[in-house]
Amino acid sequence: MATDTITQRVANRDLAIPRYSTRISRIVNARPYRSTIGAAVATHRGRMILLAAPPLVWLIALHIGPIYQMLKISLLSSYPLQHGQAATFTLDNYAVFFSESLYFSPLIRSFIYATAATATTLVVVYPVAYYVAKIVKPSSRSKALLLLLLPFWAGELIRTFAIIMLLANRGAANVFLRDLGIIDRPIPMLYTPFSLGFGLVYLVSLYMLLPLYSAIDKIPNHLLDAAADLGAGPFTRFRRIILPLSRDGIVSGCCLVFLTTIGVFATPMLIGGPTTVLFPETISGFFHGASDRWPVGAAFALIMLVTALTTAGIFMRLVGGKSTKLM
Amino acid sequence: MSRPIDRRTTLQLLGAGALAAPYIVRPKPAWAQSKTLNITTYDKFLPQEFVDQFQKDTGIQVNIRLTDDQGKQYNLLAAEGANPSTDMVTVAGHRYSQFIASDLLQPVDTGKIPNWKNLNPAYQDAPWARVNDNLWGLPILAGYEGLAVNTQYVKDPQSWEVMFDPQYKGLTSYIVSDFMTITMQYLGHDGDFVTYTDKPEMAQKATNEARDFLIKHKDMVRKYYDAGSEVQQMFINEDIHLAHSWSGPAAKLIADGHPIKLSVPKEGTFGFVYTLNIVNNAPNAENAYKFIDAILASPEVGASMTRQSGFASTMAGVADVLTEVERAATTLPQDQVERIVFFSSVNRDMKNEMIDKATAEVKAA
Repeated sequence: MATDTITQRVANRDLAIPRYSTRISRIVNARPYRSTIGAAVATHRGRMILLAAPPLVWLIALHIGPIYQMLKISLLSSYPLQHGQAATFTLDNYAVFFSESLYFSPLIRSFIYATAATATTLVVVYPVAYYVAKIVKPSSRSKALLLLLLPFWAGELIRTFAIIMLLANRGAANVFLRDLGIIDRPIPMLYTPFSLGFGLVYLVSLYMLLPLYSAIDKIPNHLLDAAADLGAGPFTRFRRIILPLSRDGIVSGCCLVFLTTIGVFATPMLIGGPTTVLFPETISGFFHGASDRWPVGAAFALIMLVTALTTAGIFMRLVGGKSTKLM
Repeated sequence: MSRPIDRRTTLQLLGAGALAAPYIVRPKPAWAQSKTLNITTYDKFLPQEFVDQFQKDTGIQVNIRLTDDQGKQYNLLAAEGANPSTDMVTVAGHRYSQFIASDLLQPVDTGKIPNWKNLNPAYQDAPWARVNDNLWGLPILAGYEGLAVNTQYVKDPQSWEVMFDPQYKGLTSYIVSDFMTITMQYLGHDGDFVTYTDKPEMAQKATNEARDFLIKHKDMVRKYYDAGSEVQQMFINEDIHLAHSWSGPAAKLIADGHPIKLSVPKEGTFGFVYTLNIVNNAPNAENAYKFIDAILASPEVGASMTRQSGFASTMAGVADVLTEVERAATTLPQDQVERIVFFSSVNRDMKNEMIDKATAEVKAA
């Protein structure tokens, strides 16, 4: 029936007629929609629930679910359970962290590396983001961004091995310096705090670049021109206009880089040295060490999660201002 | 004109799907053998040509899942319980008894393996392999914890002491948990904890001494590693000059022509055997038996395993198939062979707990 539309059917049931834009109206009145979602759920509220279900299921199943499972394991006396074995709930696994001082060092070390990597990435990437957003011609901007993003098309492990080939005793950097006659024996660069710091900055710089570029790009050029006309020098323009107006990008970039860096696992294992063991490696030891203590590992993982999120939240509130929502 | 899908039809379809789901996703019972075999093993342990030939001969599809760590296999099997997703796993000697005690493996019925006779007699019924009156897997490769040195920089060391020699500061590497047991031996203790049964104080004291010794000499270390490929890479890049190494990765470097020498120092070391085991409740156990029998059918298979992994084969007749270089890379002088003690299955829980904790402490220091 040509007039058999959703709106008419709703009206016939004495329900409020939902107001849709022309485009949405076209969708909800189309036969595929009416014969599926529209047929299954006749009310506006029902349709909203149906539409919200996929993202909610995604969020719960893939994000909250694993964390809930980790929380549950962290409270068990034993896991995985052997045949016929029963587990009881306990807080002992959390107590391990607070009763053994040796676990503080890797956590503190993780925070120091994550903070240093975040600060370094900000300092290194900010001029690059500014250059692409404000100096490069608009017609070439996409190409410049593409060029910067190119290395990130390769996976984390491949880029880590690239660092190994660059910094090893027989790697590109040492060979280059030796060929120039600057050194006669290789400089140990790999498996040191330097290689780990370098690797972390290289691996996470994308997470700083994109938010910064987005924020700086939005700053109107006429503000900068007006400030220059009024006699503001480059540093004053940066301090009074660019920096405050790119604050959202700085906060987002720093939080992304910090949270990514503090949980990074494979890279420190591959390019870190004996003095750079970070907390994720300590946690992994509980999962695949011979004594298999999953609950302690799960408790440590949650301790790290809560500590990292709290730190990021405090940072967002301090730097992003009171208007910044923590979660 | 086709009938439009109305709400009733939609609900009927959803209902039918929900009812059918348990039948679609339910696990197959153990008796429902398929033409599939799922194996979890280390990289370079099973030669691809052999696997291809086995698939061609039997029509059984072999799916290989690679692992680099015993703990990952153990955790996977423990978590999957009675419905394992793998039929076979590769267990290292030091975890053998743990897998058996946790009811994760099934005993091997050698009567179902006509070629069992082709296994080197030393491994056919070895004392370490028989637990609870049963054999639990096919020994495939044997190795030991050796001292590997770059011969261009280190000359013929006789003792583990060289790992703490200040002239090699920042040029050594080891797996902390493995080297902890060797350090205990070096310091005059029992690194395998066999004599510490019911003596936890004595064991803890010995462990702490080794731990403190390693922390004191931390500046000797370039990197703590985990996988054999890492130590190979460090030797090739000359980031290290000497290391504690499993015999396989070091022997592979030697066979490939790198200036590496592998030895067993005078204080001795530990040996281990990798076994290919059938998992308890494995859905394709009969296919696993066929696979084991096929491995033992020809010494060429064992030789390929040795060529790829660097570990010594457990199969009879393999030495005759290897080249002189390959034989030399995987062979030790008799006096050094006698210094190898195989990991025991006694007192593992105490050892695992103390070594794991000490390992974390060394890394955190």
